[in-house]
Amino acid sequence: MTYSLLVACGLVYMELSMRVVTAPICAYGQAGCHAPSLADLFERVIQQSSRMHGISSDLHSELEQYFFPRKNVLGKHKCHTYGILTPDDKENAQRLGREQLTDVILSLLAAWSDPLSQLHRSMSQDQNQNFNDHSYSKALEISDMVHELREGVAIMAEKMKLLGVLGNTMGYISPESLVPSSAFTFYKQGELNSVDHHDLLYCFRRDSNKVKNYLQILKCTILPGLDC
Amino acid sequence: MKKAVELVLLLLLLFFTPHIMGKRYSPPGKPTLTRCRSPEKETFTCWWEPGSDGGLPTTHALYYRKESSERVYECPDYHTAGENSCFFNKNDTSIWVNYNITVVATNTLGSAFSDPVDVDVVYIVKPNPPEKQTVTIMEDKGWPFLRVSWEPPQKADTRSGWITLIYELRVKLEEENEWEMHLAGHQKTFNIFSLRSGGKYLVEVRCKPDHGFWSEWSSTSYIKVPDYFHREKSVWILLTIFSAFIFLILTWLLHMNSRSLKNCILPPVPGPKIKGFDNQLLKNGKSDEIFSALMVSNFPPTTSSNYEDLLVEYLEVYVPVEQELMQEESKDLHGGCLKCERSTSDSDSGRGSCDSHTLLMDKCGETKEEGRHTDRASSRMLTEAQRHQKGWEKDTLTYAHGDMVSPDMSNGRVKTWPSVFSPLPQYSSNPLDKQSSLEMAKQHCLSTSSCLTQPGHSTKEALGPSNWDFCLGNKQPHLLHPQTQVGRQLQAHSEVNISNIGRKQAPAGLQSPALRSTEYVEVQRVNEEDLVLLQPVVSGCGRIEGYPQMPKGKDYSKVKGVDSDNMLLLQREVMEEDWWTGNCYTSSTVNTTQKPTACIHTAMPVQGDMALAMNGYVDTATMCTLPTC
Repeated sequence: MTYSLLVACGLVYMELSMRVVTAPICAYGQAGCHAPSLADLFERVIQQSSRMHGISSDLHSELEQYFFPRKNVLGKHKCHTYGILTPDDKENAQRLGREQLTDVILSLLAAWSDPLSQLHRSMSQDQNQNFNDHSYSKALEISDMVHELREGVAIMAEKMKLLGVLGNTMGYISPESLVPSSAFTFYKQGELNSVDHHDLLYCFRRDSNKVKNYLQILKCTILPGLDC
Repeated sequence: MKKAVELVLLLLLLFFTPHIMGKRYSPPGKPTLTRCRSPEKETFTCWWEPGSDGGLPTTHALYYRKESSERVYECPDYHTAGENSCFFNKNDTSIWVNYNITVVATNTLGSAFSDPVDVDVVYIVKPNPPEKQTVTIMEDKGWPFLRVSWEPPQKADTRSGWITLIYELRVKLEEENEWEMHLAGHQKTFNIFSLRSGGKYLVEVRCKPDHGFWSEWSSTSYIKVPDYFHREKSVWILLTIFSAFIFLILTWLLHMNSRSLKNCILPPVPGPKIKGFDNQLLKNGKSDEIFSALMVSNFPPTTSSNYEDLLVEYLEVYVPVEQELMQEESKDLHGGCLKCERSTSDSDSGRGSCDSHTLLMDKCGETKEEGRHTDRASSRMLTEAQRHQKGWEKDTLTYAHGDMVSPDMSNGRVKTWPSVFSPLPQYSSNPLDKQSSLEMAKQHCLSTSSCLTQPGHSTKEALGPSNWDFCLGNKQPHLLHPQTQVGRQLQAHSEVNISNIGRKQAPAGLQSPALRSTEYVEVQRVNEEDLVLLQPVVSGCGRIEGYPQMPKGKDYSKVKGVDSDNMLLLQREVMEEDWWTGNCYTSSTVNTTQKPTACIHTAMPVQGDMALAMNGYVDTATMCTLPTC
């Protein structure tokens, strides 16, 4: 009897003392919310981009099996984001500077928002039924992730500017200046079929990898630490 | 002419011998690109496998084309990476660009193109193994653990974030075959716990970029865990000593309590205890001696010897103080029967009686006193008679219940008789003593002047067994009839004996009536008017010796009451209700009024004081009994 009473008292005390403090997270540090640190922001963003790249790789390999013998070949030899200049090696990336690197990241992410949603719509309407349910869900997921990542990187850039680690950037680059207006139709070769999907995914896989890598470089440039 | 022909023949031979001999040259076989790898995502190398060379010296060349460009480049470096390889340095390497690579093998007869391979450097990264691996032993609260630390491969630039590596290590004991894998993630240190004391461990580490290939395992590090077994050993030693100590204590306890434990676990089997049985005699083998020892001289009981012994254990002693005094005085010949008077307590256990004292005490205190004396004498005889009985439960005879009015109802007798002996141990010593005691009891009751003497023994035998049975209560009336007859018969016999005995001693100074036969009248019950209803015994009327006849009928005499002279007033209920007055004379007169077949033998108290026992029984010894037919 007394033992159970003691246990109950202990549990009540624990519950009262170890209450999880919840507070909304706001990136700009408004009053009343708990602003995450830059390191937290970087970590979240990098994790998101890594996940996005992983899903796009899976989706691409799923489509790959239907295309004998074309492996890893781009039909049109071009991605619609070819207009965005991206550093293609380490020296170029380091030479680019953090502000431009941030711009490139944002441009890439902006360029892919629309095509991915169209891809999802297109996949669901595919008559050939080449895709299973996982493909549909993955396409939807990456399209959502692109949007989220784009917002996250924007918030992070703002925070960096507030902190003074980032200088003036070109700002939010509208994708129209660098990217063909109808990005999705860029991949179209006649009738919409799975080949278009494959090329699109091929390009997206690569661009997501770029985004991730650029973010990692940015992080280690701005916050050198144990992970770098 | 002949020389020209020979020359032509030689030339022809020279031309055709290769064909004749079967040796063919062919263009080279098709080479194949086996793999391309980049160790740090800044350079990469491709290796190919050449096909058949066709018998001719073959050269290989690697050509590549970059994505979205039609320009074809040849491999810049064929030697750095070894045989059949092409090394792309930093300047020639572009990331996120698709390389279309082809290898061409050429010999004099032709060339062969390999299948083109598309390579994106991002996906072919295979780093070098981690470097500067160290393993140290550290302690956590006395328990050792391994701390493994390493550095990323030198070429991989993780510091700028260009490459992100994840690590994995594996551990095993030297004598084991299987490795234990641990994924370390992005960290560069790792702790291994749960080590075997004194074991020798092997540790290896490898790494992988986010999307790439695992590196080779690093060089093995050996580490030997120090012996902390002695710490465990001391614990075992302590445990052993403690358990031995406990064991010793338990053994000692067991030894001390071995006997009681033995009795608890293996209770001793009770062996037969035969009186007079000698094991040694049995072993010696002399059967005569053994069985003679077994034979009890007085079994079956023929005389009145030791019957008290048999009954002693069943005796229930209930001797009030006054009774004891009275009994003691009764031994004394000169002791007065006067003191026998008016004792309100039972001489017997009281339990065994039919609570006669409670019923008779109020009104017939004298009768009890008288009855006590008679009981003493009669009980001896009765017990003797009981021994003749077969099937009588001695337990029932002697056992006394508090709640039962007459536990001795089995024989129709009040069980008070055996208990009489308990306060009188001297009576149980031997038959002679009993006889003397009986005589004494008779005598002292008769010695008083007030005691009326009994009629002569001529009537005694004729009386036969007439028993006073105070059977109070109606608990077991049914038991009266079947057994009382038997009892009466046997009792008659005993009475005759005692009467004979008494007869012998008659000239000792007793008045003749002392040797009268004791007669009993069976008391059937006491009705609500405090009347003792007696069952007269119809015994051998007219027969002086021998066994008396069984009573033909059941005639009961009612005890009407006790008069002022402490005399039991009997009421003959069979024919008429007459009041008996308590002396022989009157009884005789009454008897004459009876039916000739009905012999009512009533023992009446001669003198109320001594004749009336305390327990309310009429002592036949003191009574005047008149055999009447």
